[in-house]
Amino acid sequence: MERLELSKVLESIARGKRSRDILLKMSKVLGRKMRNVKKVGSTSIFVEIDRDTLPKVALLVLYNEPDVYFRTMVASDERRVEGVYKLYYVFGIDSEGTNIVLEVALPQDEPVAPTIVDIVKAIDWYEMEAHDLMGIVFRDRDLPRFVLPDDWPQDLYPLRKDVSIDSIRKNYSPKAIEHARAIEAEQIVKIPIGPYHPALHEPEYFELYVRGEKVIDSRYVGFLVHRGIEKLAENMKYNQVPFLAERICGICGFVHSTSYCQAVEDALSIDVPERAHFIRSIVLEIERIHSHLLWIGVALHLLGYDTGFMHIWRVREKIMIIAELLTGSRKTYGINIVGGVRKDINKDKIEKVVKTLNEVEQEYQHLIETAMGVPQVKKRLSGTGILPRAEARALSVVGPVARGSGLARDVRKDYPYAAYHFVSFKVPVYSEGDNLARTLVRVEEVMESINIVKQLLDTLPQGPISVDRWDVEPFKRGIGAVEAPRGEVIHMVITGRYGPYRWRARAPTYQNLPAVPIMLRGVDLADAAITIASIDPCFSCTDRAIVLDLAKGSIRTIPISYITQKGLPR
Amino acid sequence: MIRVKFVKIVGTSLKKGTVTIKYPYEKPLITSEFRGKIEVDPAKCTGCGACTRICPPKALYLVKEGDNLVIRYFIGRCIFCAMCADICPQKAISVSHEFELATDDIASLYEDIEHDLVKCACGKAFAPKKLVNEVIEKTKLPPHLLTLCPECRRVETVKRLSFRLLGVKW
Repeated sequence: MERLELSKVLESIARGKRSRDILLKMSKVLGRKMRNVKKVGSTSIFVEIDRDTLPKVALLVLYNEPDVYFRTMVASDERRVEGVYKLYYVFGIDSEGTNIVLEVALPQDEPVAPTIVDIVKAIDWYEMEAHDLMGIVFRDRDLPRFVLPDDWPQDLYPLRKDVSIDSIRKNYSPKAIEHARAIEAEQIVKIPIGPYHPALHEPEYFELYVRGEKVIDSRYVGFLVHRGIEKLAENMKYNQVPFLAERICGICGFVHSTSYCQAVEDALSIDVPERAHFIRSIVLEIERIHSHLLWIGVALHLLGYDTGFMHIWRVREKIMIIAELLTGSRKTYGINIVGGVRKDINKDKIEKVVKTLNEVEQEYQHLIETAMGVPQVKKRLSGTGILPRAEARALSVVGPVARGSGLARDVRKDYPYAAYHFVSFKVPVYSEGDNLARTLVRVEEVMESINIVKQLLDTLPQGPISVDRWDVEPFKRGIGAVEAPRGEVIHMVITGRYGPYRWRARAPTYQNLPAVPIMLRGVDLADAAITIASIDPCFSCTDRAIVLDLAKGSIRTIPISYITQKGLPR
Repeated sequence: MIRVKFVKIVGTSLKKGTVTIKYPYEKPLITSEFRGKIEVDPAKCTGCGACTRICPPKALYLVKEGDNLVIRYFIGRCIFCAMCADICPQKAISVSHEFELATDDIASLYEDIEHDLVKCACGKAFAPKKLVNEVIEKTKLPPHLLTLCPECRRVETVKRLSFRLLGVKW
């Protein structure tokens, strides 16, 4: 009798056949331990479970279902609200566009949870980050320092609510500052040189282990510029955060502000006007075009075809100009606010944009044909940096990396947001999993995006571009996801009184970088740069890399331009 | 046969020629929508501070200097989002196309809009004169109450109420 009722309840909560099946399966395993199943926002189902049952559920929800993947995990300090720490594990059902969110409460005097890294490989970084920033301990696994610097004080967990930014400043000052104080040089400007090249790209650090010409293994050290923006946002107002969110990435920032706004709108059930949805989609696609053109240019440069790089970037400039025309800025567009957008599009602009897009389309096609006709480009792309489908699935990779390995995963299709259900477009998928596959996915996506923008401009509805007003209700949860050029961006927001109580942003590179060591295994050293770049990480390419020669036992640091040249003596 | 399709690029290059411009000798390519530095019209500004509350990077902020209230704009922090222009109730803020703001003199990156403050009977300066005048005009509330600082106004209100309701004079 009880079982029957439960299945009825689940039936009413489920959004489709797949979520119903999965919820029913969960209820069979968990029985009474599955509490408080509820719909949240427009795409999510939250389920409260006990922490001990987590591995069992994760195995069931993720591993036995082919269309489920791990999207993000959020650790949140809710001691002041409910007296507990909370962990939210977001799993997506691709085929239905539903999120199943496992909500796990941890008592405040014992914030310990079982690890599920053996089951869900992709969760490795999330658990380490939650330990670093929130002080949550995961049993039976190593938890080394991950995001925070090595000299960070023990037991200072910056994302906890009782830790203020001032108290962080009081308790920690970087070694460099201490050193400056010791030599009485506090007023002197400090210029850090390395581990990144200070001139151009972003900081990242790869250690490649090579035997002769072949890469055997690699290690990534990241988070050299962790800026603590999630903490910053907790002190900001709702409509200030989009501008901060946009600065997460220097190339695809609009995806972050859109994703944040969608999360707040989802939490507070704000009904965004259709015209605003269209404008968001238009700008998102313009951003995808310029980002992909940038990447294709950089890839050609890394392959030694600089002519192609110059021409692709020449074409890209036209897109940058229309981006400015539509938004007021070439980058960091700043037109997203909660409840809509700030800048309208008129007829004159539509004409100009369509004219430019037609030009770009023609030139781009010609250029790509030429570039792909260069023997060295095709030869060096094919068969290098292979990511097999099974590994891609296990790591829950996203974006072109997933689509290059045969996983047809695209937020625009799977969880339609903004105006994407009004347009028709193809999602290019290649199953080879090599650098060429990932390149071709992007090459084709540019054409699709141009097409999408044209369709959207053609059918742009009339009406307001933002809601007049909206009301805040504290402690509502919302999830917003956007398909960025690099893959899926997902934000979760827990609302507060004046601004977000907790805001968790997850960029696509976070999900894709763990796949790089797999791609690098067995490639020629000269192809390492293009392989790392092939995931389109938020840094354009590695500027410098350390080469450890296992046979000779030597260590050298060399510039990237050097290792991309094949066959030269090293 | 060797494929020489890629030689086609030579034709493209010849046709396109030079695409870069001789900036700064030529005008930069910016569109009509470009958002640059903001301009605050001191005549229109009432010193309400709405812009300082919305400014995401806190490039606009309030400083009290003696009996003056200063709205300070520090261009070094500005992200050119123009939220201040959107929010300003007096439409005193406009967005210019100016972006060549590099300088070797940091002081030139600050702009101040000064406001005289209303002095309460108790001697405390509390709100910009223009703002108080604006409120008096819009709300038609008695001016002698609005020119008191919040603390004195509270006391005054209680005095008046107790006299009217209880007949007690303080």
